[in-house]
Amino acid sequence: MKDDKNKVTDKAGEIAKNIWLAGVGAYGKAVDEAQGRLEKAGVEPPKLFRDLVKAGAALEEEARDALVAGQSARSSVEDRINRVRDNFNLQRPARGEDLLALHEKIDRLANKVDALTTALAEQSTVKPARKKATRKKAAARKTATTRKKATTRKTAPSRSKATARTAPGRKTTRKT
Amino acid sequence: MKTRDRILVTSLTLFNEEGEAHTTTIDIANELDISPGNLYYHFKGKDQIIAELFHQYEVALSGTLAAPIEVPLGSGRGHVEDNWYYLYVVLEEMYQYRFLYHNLDDILHRYPDISRRFRRLMQLKRATLFAICGALTRQSVIDAEDQQLLSLVDNMTLVLNFWLNYDQLLYGQRDPQMTIHQGVLQLLTMVAPYLGEEQMSFYRDCENIYANMLAADED
Repeated sequence: MKDDKNKVTDKAGEIAKNIWLAGVGAYGKAVDEAQGRLEKAGVEPPKLFRDLVKAGAALEEEARDALVAGQSARSSVEDRINRVRDNFNLQRPARGEDLLALHEKIDRLANKVDALTTALAEQSTVKPARKKATRKKAAARKTATTRKKATTRKTAPSRSKATARTAPGRKTTRKT
Repeated sequence: MKTRDRILVTSLTLFNEEGEAHTTTIDIANELDISPGNLYYHFKGKDQIIAELFHQYEVALSGTLAAPIEVPLGSGRGHVEDNWYYLYVVLEEMYQYRFLYHNLDDILHRYPDISRRFRRLMQLKRATLFAICGALTRQSVIDAEDQQLLSLVDNMTLVLNFWLNYDQLLYGQRDPQMTIHQGVLQLLTMVAPYLGEEQMSFYRDCENIYANMLAADED
């Protein structure tokens, strides 16, 4: 009995896959472009949880920003399912297990906030002098190079008029 | 945003809110505060705008619909609920282009090319629901005989496809959340008889939320 059922559902999966391949295989999965538009249909959560979620989102965003540099965004369908799940959980009447989860989340957030504040405190006491100096240096270097570029660019047209067809000659002048 | 994109976004809004049949290119140009000539430079008429919007919709929804066919949702993590949340995502996406569904027969009649592609999209919806129900059967979340499963999938496809039309005929324009959430609840209603006691809690949650939304709406 059980085997039979598995066989049929496997076949069903196969059929589904074939329909998909035949019908829409030609199109890519550009779901991302729709995502922005979906955001505005987001559910308005109850006040009580909103601030907590906001705080959590801010912290998570910081953490994510660091990660995103290397990683590409995860499958957008999964992301959207998670978003709906979050919204759904906010609308659902709270239960014992939810409250437990919420407490855990609060603890985790509190720990994160503590860690961040200590990290900030350390940064502000130890590093500021050195950091400013390097920044200034970097800035100075930058302006110097841009100035150089500007001058070469300015002089370039007049020279190129004279040596319009002698490209190699132009190259050497730019180098110096 | 480029003018071309602005035209598309504004057209979509007007089609959704005023109805596609009642919206002319002049209306779109007026809404955008550009000359009809400028609009004509980007699109040679409403046909082109609709074709482009449908293409956007097709690409977006196809991608979303393909996901559960490729890999079952919530597998490995034991999150059966992902399947139901997924229905919400699909309905949300359909809602973004609801003008198609509000006037389906008329639009498909006037645009044979879209008609062909829309049928394919409907097949894909069916295939997706098939994949979801198949996976749920394998995971023993639902218990249905093969013939029941096939009928269930067709019924769900039917509701999914015409929900926005039905909702608009019955209520006119109302809060999108209500429309979408009740659509999901309606789809769940059909699966509910095959669910075990354990999984029924989600269905009851959905009912509760909808009741709360209704109560809040009446205030």
